[in-house]
Amino acid sequence: MRVAIAEDSVLLREGLTRILAEAGDVEVGAAYDNADALVQWVRTFTPDLAIVDIRLPPTHQDEGMRAALHIREHHPEVAVLVLSQYVELGLALQLLSESADRVGYLLKDRIGDVDEFVGACRRVVAGGSAVDPQIVSTLLRRQRSHDPLGALTPREHEVLELMATGASNQGIADALVITLRAAEKYVSSIFTKLGIPSTRSESRRVLAVLRYLRA
Amino acid sequence: MARPRPGGGGARRRVQTGAQATAVTRPRGLTIAQAWLILLVGLAAVAGSALLALTSDHMVRPRVQALLSGWVTTMFLFSGLVAWWRRPASRFGPLLLVASAVWVLGTLQRSNQPVAYSVGHVIDMLPPAVFLHVFLAYPTGRLERRSERLLVVACYGVAVGLQLLKVLLGVNPDNVFALAEAQAAGNWVERVQLVCVGAMLVAGAGLLLVRRRRETRHDRRRRRPAALLVDAFGLALVMLAALYVFGLFGGPPFEAFRHLTFVALGLAPVAFLIGLLDARLARTDVGEFLIELRTDPARDLQPPLAKVMHDPSLQVAYWLPEYDGWADKDGRPLPLPGSDSGRAVRIIRRDASAVAALVFDPSLEDEHELLDAVEAAAGIALETARLRAELRAQVQELQGSRARVLEAGRRERQRLERDLHDGAQQRLVGLSLELGVLGRAEQTDPETRRRLARLKKEVVMSLEELRDVARGLHPAVLTGHGLPVALESLAARASVPVALDVEPSLGRLPESVEVAAFYVVSESLTNIDKHARARSAVVRLALLDGALVVETVDDGDGGADTELGTGLRGLADRVEALGGRLQVWSPKGSGTRLRAEIPCG
Repeated sequence: MRVAIAEDSVLLREGLTRILAEAGDVEVGAAYDNADALVQWVRTFTPDLAIVDIRLPPTHQDEGMRAALHIREHHPEVAVLVLSQYVELGLALQLLSESADRVGYLLKDRIGDVDEFVGACRRVVAGGSAVDPQIVSTLLRRQRSHDPLGALTPREHEVLELMATGASNQGIADALVITLRAAEKYVSSIFTKLGIPSTRSESRRVLAVLRYLRA
Repeated sequence: MARPRPGGGGARRRVQTGAQATAVTRPRGLTIAQAWLILLVGLAAVAGSALLALTSDHMVRPRVQALLSGWVTTMFLFSGLVAWWRRPASRFGPLLLVASAVWVLGTLQRSNQPVAYSVGHVIDMLPPAVFLHVFLAYPTGRLERRSERLLVVACYGVAVGLQLLKVLLGVNPDNVFALAEAQAAGNWVERVQLVCVGAMLVAGAGLLLVRRRRETRHDRRRRRPAALLVDAFGLALVMLAALYVFGLFGGPPFEAFRHLTFVALGLAPVAFLIGLLDARLARTDVGEFLIELRTDPARDLQPPLAKVMHDPSLQVAYWLPEYDGWADKDGRPLPLPGSDSGRAVRIIRRDASAVAALVFDPSLEDEHELLDAVEAAAGIALETARLRAELRAQVQELQGSRARVLEAGRRERQRLERDLHDGAQQRLVGLSLELGVLGRAEQTDPETRRRLARLKKEVVMSLEELRDVARGLHPAVLTGHGLPVALESLAARASVPVALDVEPSLGRLPESVEVAAFYVVSESLTNIDKHARARSAVVRLALLDGALVVETVDDGDGGADTELGTGLRGLADRVEALGGRLQVWSPKGSGTRLRAEIPCG
């Protein structure tokens, strides 16, 4: 797969390029320090994935976010992964507002877990999503007065958390070292207990779960 | 407001020079002796003119004529003297005296002596031109407008030039200056002259009417005398015009109309005297003004001063030496108008230092007694008001500096957050990436791998901590993505479900406003988490009359400390520094509602 990067820190730009190049089947087509150049390159070469730092020059405000939304709107075939020093639910909802397909939003810290990071890249390129676990855990920490989450078993809790970050059923099975069939059973049981209309699309259920947790 | 400068002496010096530049100096007028002399000469001339009439061998009804022309002369004489005495700065008084003198000289044509008769005849038509001049020159004695100057000059030209031509052509064979005997041509010239003068007088009345409209539009209290004057002047001009036209073509009983016209002419300066008297009457209002001040010494002085001076446009400015400038009653800067602004300024001082300045319509500038009386009456009240203005200016300055301190703090924290983001955080992420890569390398032995993993965990924890520090310094998401996005995250972190109700058209607001609103919501949600035992909360944001209204409502226990005693005090400070206000309602048992209004201007 072909990747384009916009990251203004030289250290991270080079690090990203290196770990992706070492992943074998990944080709880093371009690595820029600003959003405009990335958008331009994406327009011409239509890579499989664009990795964007949320804070980019010149103002370091929402340049990266705007580039990500632009690519999502105008080049839906290109997957987008947004990286940031902080993750905000508001931005996640903005990114996922149309659909959770081919999109990721992760803390920069996650790059250090190289395999997981590359896995997340592959997942979004394959049409899935990657939501930073921190967003999900913040939402899950909240105390609720009549909490349907209380009806979940600890295992179901774990599955819910993984599901909200965009993990596929296979991903859940791998992470919890259970069978795929077991993972599917947990998922459908969670949907029933929480009263969320179940959906077959793994990325669409991310949005449904996030919205459920936020309400 | 100018910042206070060191060295009050400099400021004081400026007051002095400023005051000198604008102070109203009283022009030297008539001495009593001069006034008496003019009066005696004038009365003697009236008597002489009457004598000429009574001894004339060519006048019809000499007694009536002597009486009427004596009436006109005397009225102009008296009025001229009074005007010159009371308004030394105005040329109007002398102009009235000139009119009186021209009128008397015109009566020389009553004389039986040929030369005197001829001279009188030559200036026969001068009085209507002078009257036109006088009436249009009220009240300053100057013709202020181009149209007025043109009309008066033209009228003088017709009155003197054509009269001379007429005399030379021999319209009156007895005149010693007659050169020719073209009486028919002379009569034609006379007709043209009379029609022209008549028309110009009517035009003059028209100009007066226009001016009356203009001058009485804003000022209802001044309307009465002003309108009366203009009416009297206008009436006299129209009657004069009619007189000449009737003289030409015949009309209603000519003599009776002529007498009426003379009466009206004499009444015109009386109207002027009434106008003067009215200004003096105005001074009796000063007594009322004083009583008003005594009953409520803390009141705003502008309305009563405007009332007593009959000038709704009046402004009061107070001198604030600390700020080296003038200010209104609330301490807001109010620069005095310059000399070419069409406003008059009077500086009121106490013990040689300026206290206040009255900025008013220049038509009042001549009313020295009124101004003196007002100054005497308002002195102490103005001084009190000045102190009040100074206090308010200081309060405003304090508020401004509080806002500046907060703003400077905010900027500093924003800068720190940015440094953290671009520096330490970035480097730690790089480090964790590096550790991750090393940990995966095939040649790394298991023990090193474990240690590397532990190190990476440390780095990630440091990043967590730094993230909290950065968030505490400045909500970067707010600066980058606006209030709705930033509030979404606040709501997500709250322990109870928070419904966000943000006006869709909110858009981006000034950063200080956004930050204040963010902290209002953040602090409210923290309080709800800690104290309220609420099941849910609502956060509302809306724009109302140029202010951002932030409201947080919970369904908890209520009974919170609404005196802003605790953490809310800091919030209130932040909001008040931006000119807004913070209110809290927290009845026991029915939740807490907090409302902040933050002006966006």
